[in-house]
Amino acid sequence: MSDAYRYQGTGRNLQKEMLGEWFQRLSQAPARGEPVAYLFISGNIAELLTNFGFHLVYPEVNALQCGIKKTAGQFILKAEELGYSPDVCGYVKNDIGLLHSGNQSPMGNLPPPSLLVCNYSGCRTYVKWFEALAEFYKAPLFMLDVPYRRDDALEAGDLRYVVGQMQELIALCEKLTGRRFDPDRLREELARTRQAEDYWVRILESAKRVPSPFDSYFEAVFFMAPLYTLRGTPDCLRYYEAAWQEIEERITHGIGPAGEERFRVVIEGPPPWPHFRAFWEMFQRWGVVAVASTYSKVGGLYDQGVRHDPARPLESMAEYCMNCYTNWHLGLRRDLIRRYCHDYRADGLVIHSVKSCRSFSVGQADTREVFSKELGIPTLFIESDLADPRYFSAAQLRNRIDAFFEGLAHRKLTSLPVVEARA
Amino acid sequence: MIASGVDVGSTATKAVLLDENRNILARACIKTGANVVRAAQRVFREAVQAAGVEEHDVTQVVGTGYGRYKVTFGHAQVTEISCHARGAAYLFPNTRIILDIGGQDTKAIRITRGGDVEDFCMNDKCAAGTGRFLEAAAATMALALEEIGPLSLQYRQALKITNVCTVFVESEILAHLARGRAPADILRGVHQAIAGRSVALMRRVGLDPEITFTGGVSRNVGIVSALEEKLERKLNVSSDSIYMGAIGAGLFALDRALAGEHGGEHATVGGGH
Repeated sequence: MSDAYRYQGTGRNLQKEMLGEWFQRLSQAPARGEPVAYLFISGNIAELLTNFGFHLVYPEVNALQCGIKKTAGQFILKAEELGYSPDVCGYVKNDIGLLHSGNQSPMGNLPPPSLLVCNYSGCRTYVKWFEALAEFYKAPLFMLDVPYRRDDALEAGDLRYVVGQMQELIALCEKLTGRRFDPDRLREELARTRQAEDYWVRILESAKRVPSPFDSYFEAVFFMAPLYTLRGTPDCLRYYEAAWQEIEERITHGIGPAGEERFRVVIEGPPPWPHFRAFWEMFQRWGVVAVASTYSKVGGLYDQGVRHDPARPLESMAEYCMNCYTNWHLGLRRDLIRRYCHDYRADGLVIHSVKSCRSFSVGQADTREVFSKELGIPTLFIESDLADPRYFSAAQLRNRIDAFFEGLAHRKLTSLPVVEARA
Repeated sequence: MIASGVDVGSTATKAVLLDENRNILARACIKTGANVVRAAQRVFREAVQAAGVEEHDVTQVVGTGYGRYKVTFGHAQVTEISCHARGAAYLFPNTRIILDIGGQDTKAIRITRGGDVEDFCMNDKCAAGTGRFLEAAAATMALALEEIGPLSLQYRQALKITNVCTVFVESEILAHLARGRAPADILRGVHQAIAGRSVALMRRVGLDPEITFTGGVSRNVGIVSALEEKLERKLNVSSDSIYMGAIGAGLFALDRALAGEHGGEHATVGGGH
């Protein structure tokens, strides 16, 4: 990028730098005798755990990093050697294989947990994953049971249930660390989180512009990382201030993520990490920009108004826990995607169905039906995996992607209405 | 003005030549084999010879099929999904649904009246229910691929084949043979299994009265019969059905030729013979 632009590349580079430092702090934690907590991304309660000085390890992030750094295959095979079925989630097998290979990840040495907090219960496999880790490490496991959003309205009883469990967790953390819970610190961190969330929403919503300055899928996966892993820290807020400057600069100078924007799509489902670059290129060559995505909401539906609130610390954390994308029932998901197609003026919907993740893929065939038949929104359905490099057939994916955009290109040429989203 | 479409499939490579009035001047079909680039060159030369013209008379070539980027002398590449749609709409103007069963994939395509792709669905990564599945079934029964379709029509009582997996179907067929079941009854079950899977795929894009069946497997009368039985209607099956992708590609090539997009380059496969 030209020197004339001050902020271009900030979002990617600063994120990489901060994550690098985070992994370094993690490798040093055992030597310093500092406690480590393992938890999941969706609905994580980072600020509550850092209150007690816990370092945070997200096994999903480790699996994702192994995928993108192309070391996942060997760990998955290792887990299969241990008896895990080919049908078990690739993230889980990657982590189990990593653990049995001395926890030497491409990002550094991962410390063992002093506490495991299973904070995402929408996926049964995840519960079993942490049970296996607890047994292996002989570490305490706290099950934070977050009810699924099965009704359209958020149930007050559900929120009380989650808050009650958080109070139990606080008591457990005090016992484990010998430190007193510090409510002032929690409020301070949540205030920073809230500011970072505001910036993140501005970045996401910048994609409503035509052409869009930001790709809400292929770029968002990097831009969302600090909010998922470093929430509440001054670094996290600093990151989003800088990232927003990059986006503002792009808007000012008309810089887009895909060169010339030819097609605007909404993408549903996680990316294939082991083939991320190749997958992105299949879309780039058609000038496709993902203007909205559901994957960028797995760690919180902030653009739907979800915010941490220092005035209601535990209550707002409980609301956040319940409002992560895969914790929503299918009807809510469908309505969200429909709003995205309409509000972001998308030409079509791309569903990337991954074998590993039932939390995502269950119902996607129905989503496809609704969008292509009932709503008349061109919908592409493609399949691979988020972690297992073996489930990626480049020729077949490319064929489907090419055919879909050939069709859209021809429709644009003959000026047929492409999206008539009945919002 | 002559344009050509070259369809490099997983099993067979096809070429057609069209004149400016969209008449098919020549067709050629060969096995793809291991050298995909050479297969494309060979089939194109065969079509050119069959038409009695010279390579440089062909102003535009469009490649399609899995090997479309291996048509090194092509001027553009279009996926076979768009090409089958275009070809089918040309031969059967009222068709809105196309079922294409090839060597290793199956596609259901819904098109507009003008032949534009509106929606499509394909089998997942495995070759269950495709041409490869029929090849496996034929090999297990020590029959030639061409024999199994006609033989299946002589069934008395179709046997249920529960597996559409190309690997597992073998043991299922062997089990039936071991029990002394008639080959025609087994084969009817095999063809019905493919038909069932294909109809499920078509339902995903929406069934419409007029369905056109294309691709190599459409030459198998057993599949046509099983599909028609399941759908309770006749299918459009052209004698040119295996050339449908190449015809569509040829039509796209003709569009380009008529729009003057040849850039001064005539098609030539280059090199010595």
